Amino acid sequence: MQETALRKKTLKWNSYLIAGASLVVMIVLYVLSTQDPGTLLHHPKLQIFKMMFVSIIIEAMPFILIGVVVSALLEVFVSEGTIQRMIPRNPILGIVAASLIGILFPICECGMVPAVRRLIQKGMPLYVATAFIAVGPILNPIVFWSTYTAFRSRPDIAYSRMGLAFLTALILGLIVYRFVNPNQLRHQDAVSGQAASIPAPSPVDKAAVSPPLGQRLLEVMNHAVGEFFEMGKYLMFGALLVGVLLAFVGKESLVGWGQGPVHANVLMMGLGFLLSLCSTSDAFVAQSFLTTFSGGALVAFMVLGPMLNLKGILMMTAVFKARFVIVYSSLVIVLVYGGTWLLEKCWLA
Amino acid sequence: MKNLLPVVHHVLKLLILMGFAGYIAYLTFTGDILLYIAPHLVKYTELAAAGLFLFAVFQLYILIRSRTKEVPAACACSHDSVHHHHHHHDHDEHGHGHEPSPSLAKNVLMYGLFILPLLLGVVLPDQAFAGSLVKSRGIQVGESAGGSGGIPADLAPLAGTDDPELKERFKSDKYNRDYAKLGMLLYRQDVIEMKDEWFIEKLQALNAFAGNFEGKTIRIKGFVYREEGLGENQFIIGRMAMTHCIADISPYGIIAETPEAGSFADDAWVDITGTIATTTYRGQQVIKIDVSDTEPAAAPTIPYVYPDWDFAKKL
Repeated sequence: MQETALRKKTLKWNSYLIAGASLVVMIVLYVLSTQDPGTLLHHPKLQIFKMMFVSIIIEAMPFILIGVVVSALLEVFVSEGTIQRMIPRNPILGIVAASLIGILFPICECGMVPAVRRLIQKGMPLYVATAFIAVGPILNPIVFWSTYTAFRSRPDIAYSRMGLAFLTALILGLIVYRFVNPNQLRHQDAVSGQAASIPAPSPVDKAAVSPPLGQRLLEVMNHAVGEFFEMGKYLMFGALLVGVLLAFVGKESLVGWGQGPVHANVLMMGLGFLLSLCSTSDAFVAQSFLTTFSGGALVAFMVLGPMLNLKGILMMTAVFKARFVIVYSSLVIVLVYGGTWLLEKCWLA
Repeated sequence: MKNLLPVVHHVLKLLILMGFAGYIAYLTFTGDILLYIAPHLVKYTELAAAGLFLFAVFQLYILIRSRTKEVPAACACSHDSVHHHHHHHDHDEHGHGHEPSPSLAKNVLMYGLFILPLLLGVVLPDQAFAGSLVKSRGIQVGESAGGSGGIPADLAPLAGTDDPELKERFKSDKYNRDYAKLGMLLYRQDVIEMKDEWFIEKLQALNAFAGNFEGKTIRIKGFVYREEGLGENQFIIGRMAMTHCIADISPYGIIAETPEAGSFADDAWVDITGTIATTTYRGQQVIKIDVSDTEPAAAPTIPYVYPDWDFAKKL
C-alpha cells in the first residue's frame, strides 16, 4: 500500500522533472537558434526572464512567509476541531464567514494556500475552504481600494469585481458542499470530514501534555521552514513559468490572440491565469487594457486571475488531490465566464 | 553515507535561506530592489529578509543538533505523532528535513528551483526596462487612470482654487472630480512639468480635459516608444508605470509630433518641450505635443513611475 503510494509519487515527480527538463531544452534551443553561445548570457530575452522571475519571487516572498508562519502557528497552537466550532453550520453562513476572513486578514493567494491546508486539518469544512481560496484574494479592502483607484472613472467595474467574486465563491462553495467528497487533501488518511465524527481532543487534554513554550516555538519554526520549502518550490516553478512566458512569448502576443475568433472574456481569463499577478496589482494592468477590451472582459481578468492562476494552481496541487484541483478549476472557469456574460448583459453595458 | 544525507539537506536548506535573505538585503542596500518592486513594498521585503534570516538561524541550529545528537534533527514534532496518529503520513510528506526524499531527481529539481533565481541574480546584471523590451499592447495615452507623500511641491501653492470661471471650464461629474481638481491646478501653471511624481495622474487629468489645455506649454522627460497607428512625424514619449513588480509594468505616454521624429531611436531618453494640442487616437480625444525643443537626456537609475493611490486625498 505504502509502496504503491511511493511509486506513484516518484512517477509524479518524474513527470515534473520531464516537464522541467523539456522546458529548459526548449529555451536553450530557442536561444541557440537565434544567438551564438558566446553571447548567451547577454541575450536580452534571458535578461527579461531573469528580471521577471526574480521580481515575482521577491514580491511574493513576504506573503508566502506570512502563509507558512500562520500555518505553522495553527498547527502547533490550535487544536483540531477549533475552526470547525467557529464556523457556522449553515453552509451559506459558513461561506459568508469565510468571505469575512478575507476582509479581516487581507492576504493574497501566495499566503492563502499554505494556510488553507492547516485550516482544513483543524476542522474547516472543504466547501468553506474552497470558497475562502476563491474569494479571499479578492474580497478585501486592499484589493477593493486598488481596483477602485485604477478604475477611478469606472467605479462600476470595481463593484462588479467584488460582487462577482463573492457570488462565484458562494455558488462554488455550495456546489462543493453538495456534490464533492470532503476528503480532498493530498497525503492524508483522515480529514475534516471524518474528524468531525471523532471527538476532537479537548484543549485540556492537549494542555496537560503540552511541552513548554520554547519547545513549541521551535516546533513552529520547524513546521514553518519545512513548509517554506514545500510551498516555495511551487512558487519558484510558477514564477519560472510566468517569467518564461513574459520573456519569450510576451504580453503583446498573448493579447494578440484576441484578434482571432477567441471571445474577449475567454482571452482575458486566459491572460489572468497565465500572468499570475497579485490580486492587489492586477487592477492597474487590467486598466491598461481598458481601451482594447470591454468592462466585462476586464472583470473576467480580475476575478479569474486571483482565483485560478499558474502560480497558485501549482501550489494547490501540493495541497489538494489533482482531481479536486481540476474540479475547482473547471467550476471557476464556468462560473466566471457565465458571471461576466450576465454582467455585460445586465449592468456593465 | 546514510548518516551524511540529512546533513547535505540541512546544509542546502541553510544556504538557500541565507542566500535569499542575503540577496534581498543586498538589493535593498544597493537600492537596486526598486528595479524589481515598487517602493511601498520595500518594507515588506525587508521584513521577509529578516524572517528568512531567522529561518536560517533555526536551520543552523538544526544542523548543529543533527551533528551533536544521535536523535535525528528536529524531532520536536515527534510527540505530535503520538497524539495525532492519523496525521502521521502527512508529516512524512512534509519533508521536515529528517525525512529527505529518496529520489535524487526530485531533490536536484527541488533545490535547483530555489538556487536558480539566486544564481541568475548573481550572474546577470540588474536591468531597468524602457518601452520596447516589454511591450504590452497599446501604451496608455487615453482616458482612465491609474508619487509619494503629499501633494507635489510645484502644485501645492495653487491648492484651494476658487475661481468660478475655472470651475466652469473643468465641469466634472462625480467620477472625474479628482481629475478636474488636478486639471485646475495644472491649468494655472505657466509650464506643465511632467515629473515622476503624479506622472500618471497628471496625464489622466490632461487627457480628461484635453481641450482646455490647448496652447499650453509642457515639459516631459521620457523614452521614445513607437507602435502601429502613429504617423511618420510622430512617436510616443512615455514612462513605465509599476504597481507592484516588473511583471505588471505598463507604459504610459503622450504623442509627440515633430518633423524630425524619425531621428529619435526607440528607447532613447529625451527631454521635450512643446505646446499641447489635441488629437484623436484609437477613437479617443487625447493631448499631443507639438515639439518645439528636444534635448537628449540620461535615463534615470530607476526609470519607473508609480500610481499614487491616495492622490485624491492630497488635493
